[in-house]
Amino acid sequence: MKEYHCANQCTWCDGCGDYGIWTAIKRALSELGIAPWQALLCYDIGCHGNMSDKLLGYRFHGLHGRVIPFAAGAKLANMRVPVLAFGGDGATFSEGVGHLVHALRSNYPLTFILHNNGNYGLTTGQASAVTWQGQPMNASPNGIPEHTLNSMDFIFSLEPTFVARTFSGDIPHMTRIFKAAIEHQRHGFAFVDVLQACPTYNRFATHRYLLERCYDANAEGHDAGHFQKARARAMDTDKRIACGVLYQRTDIPNFYDRLVPRQGKTTMLVEEVDVVDIRALLKPFL
Amino acid sequence: MKRISIKITGAQGQGINSVGELLAKGLKRAGYCVFGYREYMSLIKGGHSSYQLDVSDEDVRSTETEADILVCLDHYGLARDVGSVKSGGILLHQTPQWSFPPAMQERLQDKGVQVLYLPSEEILRSLKAKPILGNILVTAAVWRLLRHPADGLKELVRKQFGKKGKEVLEQNFACIDEGFKYVGQERDRVVLPPPNVQWKECLLLTGSQAMGLGIVHAGCRLYAGYPMTPSSPLLSFVADVQNETGMVVKQAEDEITAAQMMSGAMHMGTRAVTATSGGGFDLMTETASLNAEIENPAVFIVAQRPGPATGLPTWTAQGDLLLAVGSAHGEFARIVLAVSDAADCFSLMPEAFNLAEEWQTPVIVLTDKQIAEALFTQAPFGLPKTECRRGKLVVDPRKLARLRSDDRYDPHAKNGVSLRWLPGTKAATYCAQGDEHSADGTVDESAENMRLQMEKRMRKVEAIRKALPEPELYGGSSFQLFGVREDVSCDILLVSWGSNKGVILDALSELTTNYSLPTTHYLHYTYLWPLKTERLEKLMKKAKKIVLVEQNHQGQLGMLLKMQCGIDIPHKILKYDGRPFFIDEVTQRLIPFLQAKKLKS
Repeated sequence: MKEYHCANQCTWCDGCGDYGIWTAIKRALSELGIAPWQALLCYDIGCHGNMSDKLLGYRFHGLHGRVIPFAAGAKLANMRVPVLAFGGDGATFSEGVGHLVHALRSNYPLTFILHNNGNYGLTTGQASAVTWQGQPMNASPNGIPEHTLNSMDFIFSLEPTFVARTFSGDIPHMTRIFKAAIEHQRHGFAFVDVLQACPTYNRFATHRYLLERCYDANAEGHDAGHFQKARARAMDTDKRIACGVLYQRTDIPNFYDRLVPRQGKTTMLVEEVDVVDIRALLKPFL
Repeated sequence: MKRISIKITGAQGQGINSVGELLAKGLKRAGYCVFGYREYMSLIKGGHSSYQLDVSDEDVRSTETEADILVCLDHYGLARDVGSVKSGGILLHQTPQWSFPPAMQERLQDKGVQVLYLPSEEILRSLKAKPILGNILVTAAVWRLLRHPADGLKELVRKQFGKKGKEVLEQNFACIDEGFKYVGQERDRVVLPPPNVQWKECLLLTGSQAMGLGIVHAGCRLYAGYPMTPSSPLLSFVADVQNETGMVVKQAEDEITAAQMMSGAMHMGTRAVTATSGGGFDLMTETASLNAEIENPAVFIVAQRPGPATGLPTWTAQGDLLLAVGSAHGEFARIVLAVSDAADCFSLMPEAFNLAEEWQTPVIVLTDKQIAEALFTQAPFGLPKTECRRGKLVVDPRKLARLRSDDRYDPHAKNGVSLRWLPGTKAATYCAQGDEHSADGTVDESAENMRLQMEKRMRKVEAIRKALPEPELYGGSSFQLFGVREDVSCDILLVSWGSNKGVILDALSELTTNYSLPTTHYLHYTYLWPLKTERLEKLMKKAKKIVLVEQNHQGQLGMLLKMQCGIDIPHKILKYDGRPFFIDEVTQRLIPFLQAKKLKS
């Protein structure tokens, strides 16, 4: 894991869930034998994005809400490089929600890790689409008038091929889930919802709250191959919150493998950059 | 130079494009240079549209406002477009029992316009042919008016529709024979000059198709776009040839996605592109700014149409030059270039990618509806000269092994361009950091670092300006391209960019043939930002008058020139009605500036 070590000091608040996620992602990559030069880690904007210079590996830190299409373009260009995209609940369910919809239906060969702390932390605690309705927040002192987005219902409605949930307070569990999500990349889009404590701005779903409710559904014999059961279990968060690999299927080809022009190609797009003889394409114009 | 024009008008979806394309191909193969121009409305069927072909044995790169032969497929066009036939021209229509109002009838007689009725419905009925064959019938009638033998057209039809079986082909041939019969006895009104075999070997293609070929040729491997006229034909073309090229073509969920996918693919190390029109580019500009900050090569194609807002989606303009030059937040280096014709569309695309990679910054390629959809007769593209230049990209394993993370954004790099290497290559890693960063991509908010990194990136501006070619100068007896060292004094200097090149050169040739002119040169700007002004400043010292020609309201290139070097061009020929410049229009508008005097014929 120390191959990912970077001298820059973390700048997150004490007790922030990002510390755990940061540790678990390094551990997952390391345990999978992926060297820092072999992977591309893409970060959105938000507190989680401040991880981009706190570990090694090829990294990218882009625009708010836009990490998924950048990561997808990068992955399609070189399928041999594991590409991970990280985003917060603010960016993912508001500014960039369209990208999430199309990433799921496209089944891009990507691992997406949602830092879900229920608010916009970096901009000092505004409500996100998954903040509880009625919860007073910065810029909504009376609580938000909008309905809270049922994120898991939404994700399952888009027929995902991999859905997992984990908790920022459980590093071994996160490591296991991240590894499974990285390995799912060859099958398509892996969505990982990391329930994350925000000690500064999230006073409702706190570390303790999550700690008390999260349980490993896989350990309780959850059938990750059953869509309806997985969906119901993922959405039922009233008393207990199911974590683990909640749903996975590997029988649908990923986006790249569906592309007719790429069938049978052994080279990657990055290896094909050179002047191309187009004379064979001129015939229709003569 | 002798040129004629044929204009086909009718309802959209009525087959105007089929007739236009068939005629264009037939004429090109017969040895003529053809320039095709489409007008249509932003709807699928109905509406009114036209396809005009300007034809000559010499180079023709523009459209006339009036046609020698006007073909009206419906009665609406007949009433609306009747005024656009030249004196002595022909009006061919297929509306039964049509008569013009007496005043119009008189005008047509005065102009010596011959009105021909082709009873298409009747002929098709007698041949038991489907209505779609009306297109062949009309094409045949025009072919006959041009006094071309039927064989050429039959050969073309055989190639086009031969696959559909013998019966279909025979019906097509019967229509050709009937079309010929109907206009068989008319005297020669519209006469083409003798053909020139040089055109037979040429390509007949739109600017979009040429640009698509240029993109493929450049080694671009991913195209991400979102449909928006007039960039959509490029998306369609690249998509249509994807199985041959092996390219990844992605119709994205929006323009931001398209721009981000292009950027991601470029960052990983392939060549990728996105294309849109002004409104779509508005959405992409934040991504352009990101590419500048992470010093990622990026290529954006912007096909202009009139704005603001939705404007006129299917018409043309040059109103987005200032957008391209000034778009996106923050200060950064970007390269703006504009294509002018099919040749540019092909050859400047590899250059756009080369520049993007050499300078590690966004490149914006401007085109417009006129170029995107016009048909050009183009000499087959020369292939051997194209280079693939990737700038400071490190790929050699030994060199990669020696890299340090802080080489990536080394603030002391010459010309601001530092070493670049790709994710997945065995080397020290870095962060492509959208926040202000130090040399290895670590976020660094210090004043010292901000200043150093800003200066690093902005050093590119001057270095690019030095490296880019000067604008091209056309002059002499046949308005040929001058070398940079050949600059000679001229009385009048025209300055323009983009699609105006073809019509300006055609107008100057026309004026030289029929008028007595002062020495006139045309300075064409292909590279528009960073703006080069040395050649212009040198030329204007000697020129008596400079005239700016642009398809926008403000004279945007003029504004940039004034900003860049204080040159003010008071004489302007501007147009902003969605239509391109027509040759006779440019000629007429130039005459007062040139004080041209008509030669006695």
